[in-house]
Amino acid sequence: MGCGAELLSVRNVSKRFGGTRALRGVCLEGERGQIHTLVGENGAGKSTLIRILGGVYRPDEGEILLDGTPCRFDSPRAAQAAGIVVIPQEMRVVHAATVAENIMLGAWPTRRLFGVFPTIDRRRMRDIAAATLARLDYHGSVDARMQDLSFAERQLVVIAKALCHQARLLILDEPTASLEHREAERLFELLAKLRDGGVGIIYVSHRMDEIVRLSDACTVMRDGAVVARRRRGAIDKDEIIRLMTGRDLGEMHRPHRNDFGPPALSAEVDGGELTIRRGQVVGLAGLLGSGTTTLLRRLYGAEGGAELRVSGRPRRHDGPARAIRDGIGLVPAERRLALAMDLCIRDNIILPHLARFSTGWWLDGHAADVMVEHLIEQLDIRPRDARRPVRMLSGGNQQKVIFARWLVGEIGVLLLDEPTQGIDVAAKSRIHKLMHDFVDDGGAILFASSELQEVMLMSDEVHALRQGSRVATLRRGGGDYSERRLREVLGG
Amino acid sequence: MSETMVKDNAAAPVLPRPRLGGRQALFDQMPLLALAVLVIVASLASERFFTPMNLNNVLLQASVMSVIAIGMTYVIIAGGFDLSVGSTAALAGCTAAWVMVEANVPLGIAAGVGVGAVVGGVNGLAVTVLRVSPFIVTLGTMVLVRGITLLITDGRPISGEYGLPGAFLEIGRGMWLGVHILVWLPLGLFAVFAWTLHMTAYGRRLFATGGNREAAYLSGIAVDRVTASAYVWCGALAGLGGVMLASRLQSGQPTAGEFYELTAIAAVVLGGASLKGGEGKLYKSMIGVFIMVVLANGLNLLNVHSYWQRVAIGVVIIAAAAADQLRSGRR
Repeated sequence: MGCGAELLSVRNVSKRFGGTRALRGVCLEGERGQIHTLVGENGAGKSTLIRILGGVYRPDEGEILLDGTPCRFDSPRAAQAAGIVVIPQEMRVVHAATVAENIMLGAWPTRRLFGVFPTIDRRRMRDIAAATLARLDYHGSVDARMQDLSFAERQLVVIAKALCHQARLLILDEPTASLEHREAERLFELLAKLRDGGVGIIYVSHRMDEIVRLSDACTVMRDGAVVARRRRGAIDKDEIIRLMTGRDLGEMHRPHRNDFGPPALSAEVDGGELTIRRGQVVGLAGLLGSGTTTLLRRLYGAEGGAELRVSGRPRRHDGPARAIRDGIGLVPAERRLALAMDLCIRDNIILPHLARFSTGWWLDGHAADVMVEHLIEQLDIRPRDARRPVRMLSGGNQQKVIFARWLVGEIGVLLLDEPTQGIDVAAKSRIHKLMHDFVDDGGAILFASSELQEVMLMSDEVHALRQGSRVATLRRGGGDYSERRLREVLGG
Repeated sequence: MSETMVKDNAAAPVLPRPRLGGRQALFDQMPLLALAVLVIVASLASERFFTPMNLNNVLLQASVMSVIAIGMTYVIIAGGFDLSVGSTAALAGCTAAWVMVEANVPLGIAAGVGVGAVVGGVNGLAVTVLRVSPFIVTLGTMVLVRGITLLITDGRPISGEYGLPGAFLEIGRGMWLGVHILVWLPLGLFAVFAWTLHMTAYGRRLFATGGNREAAYLSGIAVDRVTASAYVWCGALAGLGGVMLASRLQSGQPTAGEFYELTAIAAVVLGGASLKGGEGKLYKSMIGVFIMVVLANGLNLLNVHSYWQRVAIGVVIIAAAAADQLRSGRR
């Protein structure tokens, strides 16, 4: 594939970190007025490439051309000055400041008070901010504080800020990961509008539907290299998955079953009973902020006390320690809530089971090593090095470490909160397989996901939650077990 | 379901150590290198440095500080901070002196350590139950405990009418195998506390709590209890340090231990522990203590004015923190 002269052109860029080659001779174009999607598994090199474009890293080899002339970005500031703005998943905003202040951050219009004292021209600042937001069809107050805004609104503000700084190339890293369906739709419309206005967009995502829909061009990366490029019209979901992973991934459909075991966990939820049986996957569907996270944390005892029945026995959970002793494990929505990043793989896996591996004061490191080594093998955690701090692992592998934790001992119930958020398709299907294996071995799973397709695919029974209360229950095998019906009851 | 896995002991795999880049490994051993350079410079600059008397002196100066630094390492790994150790040492020294004048030596030592543990307990409770920042809590207890010490002693040293009991003074003066008794004590403590920190379940809990409190909590760890326990250890060890200091000074001095908290924190940070918590090694903190002590000792031998010594130590602390930033920035 040739590297043409475009708005931005990346030519044969390579980058290594220590002994790892993160990028190997990568070419990429950012065209004016086009949406160029970038896909690849975790660790394929997308993030490294984005960081190079954003001026965070410098390439070891290769060059970056802007408007056909080679340039070097020695800092994020330099990249921004050249019109390249990266919008990462975790956006950096000043939470205590207002929308207008954030949009104009660092470039506040000034005037001279009494012709002498330089002051910020608040009125002009607000006017410019409001005008930019209006271009994005956003008409909220520019005086609202960032901390009071929803994630989607903050994202808009960050995009507005980029436009204010004359961004010519926007790079978005998984922008829809934390968006509701409707918000995502709005973002797509906005991106299309920006594209038509001549802005170049590089869009990173794991969601295949989005990629097929948005791409004017699509670049697929694997193991630090570009493996394919497709133009609009020639983009096929299955082919892209194959190119990304190097193999086919048949989606596993869960057969309809009725023969579940005895109740593993039941609790009173919102006036009604919520029961999970052994061998059963129960899904919690809800849009962001619908209370699924709170419910899972409550059952785990991490959010006030909870009265529930575990295997038929009445229990009170007023802390995770109790829940773990009752054989319940939680995988929280954010990996940073579950992992001590500076501790090694082994220590993170045995963390809830320290008592099990100790006799008195003494920690039986040998038994722990043996078991952890098994789990690393079983879950294919890479690198295969139990002493590696987990911060050095990719997102998918970190998620596997969290899962491995609950395959130790007599954990019979798993509470999963968005277990596949932000991980690539291959790691995702491996997590799905783990979930199936877990219930096939007699375990029970309660899992929440805002990706409705996933909930429908994985569950035997789905409870739809809206603002903390259950609005419907759909059973596999029942006539109305469909994503459409679920979307209807959720009002999404 | 995976119970079998736990019991399965077949073919224990040998875990390879993580391979670190040469530069990373070098950064990791920075404190040791710094100490080596310091010792070489000191011995070149003054022929008095490598005399048995001076070396014994260095060890003696390091002894109290290393006991306090052990406790400080625990607190810092647990994600906390303790400014009150210097005041605690003074209170403990005076309490010990008073009790052993009134009763006997073992009771006095126990009272000193106990009073330190109580101060640590207060710190721990305030940090965990009241959720006040460790900096503020221990700043408060630092001043408060010093005030109590001055109140109960009326600002005067405690040594009884006829001096402290001879057995106690012997601890401060005595030698064993040519080395001060006060030097053997931290050596034993170091062994016990290093083992506890790095080899036990409690140690893992401490690291996990300091590294990521929420993750530790969700893993069923009683994070408040773990945090508070670190403060109790720190207080008790500061108390012991105060008792050791009293045996050296042959009295309970209400003004003893000033700036000890800063030296101890500096030593732990020099040793590479992260003030964010969750990271640190006990032996490295000990290296940090020796860097501080050798630096002061060397400057003394060179007759550098004590005002300049403070300036030098301040520079070293900032340099250490900067080196730490450089290291974490390269990750």
